[in-house]
Amino acid sequence: MNAESRKRALHYFFEKVVGPLGFKFTPDTELKDFLLEQEVILESKHGIPFCPCQPIRHDRERDMQIVCPCIPFHRKHFDAIRRCWCGLFVHKDVIDPDSLPQLPPKEVGLE
Amino acid sequence: MSDEFVRAISTDEIAPGGMKTVEINGDEIVICNCGGTYYAVQRRCGHMNAPLDMGTLDGTYLTCAMHCVQFDVTTGEALSGPVPPYFGHETPPPMMGEYLQNIGMLMKHVRTESIRTYATKLEAGWVQIAL
Repeated sequence: MNAESRKRALHYFFEKVVGPLGFKFTPDTELKDFLLEQEVILESKHGIPFCPCQPIRHDRERDMQIVCPCIPFHRKHFDAIRRCWCGLFVHKDVIDPDSLPQLPPKEVGLE
Repeated sequence: MSDEFVRAISTDEIAPGGMKTVEINGDEIVICNCGGTYYAVQRRCGHMNAPLDMGTLDGTYLTCAMHCVQFDVTTGEALSGPVPPYFGHETPPPMMGEYLQNIGMLMKHVRTESIRTYATKLEAGWVQIAL
């Protein structure tokens, strides 16, 4: 299977999901490309495109919450930091993704 | 593949985003209407032979209903392998468990292949396919 073709397909499907949630792909194309590639690798290993920046715990319920795009499971957190955890998606109004730090829920008052 | 095109279906037989199966000279073919552009692919999934017309077409991506293997209908390329099965938290009854274990063992060796595509053209309101 060709990684580039799969990346294009994931891009197509993810865009349809995150758009209505108020998110878009990060404008940082290099980061986007890198993260999608990691997801293709994870998908070829596990059969599921997990978030590349969160641990797989082999606990079905928790693991399903990190299947990309995992925005619906972490909505409050990601809305607070205006990006998803790995930075593949950012709020639609974000122009400079580098200005958004990767803050854990505790640091934005969610735990 | 020959250059001889044969009439398959009328263009108004498939709504955009839809699929239809035809059988021509023994070949089972799924014709996909991707926003007015027609693509034709073999009906059988490159993973376990399930009928692809029972899956879903989104853009040019066709997902098999059996194990969610995805294909690009423009090239026939297999884009993903099967999604791993999940049987819930309940332990299946012993006989069923053994059966599933055997099936799982066999399925591990099943490769996902790309599927055959057929050239198409539109002429006088007909979708024609090169066999």
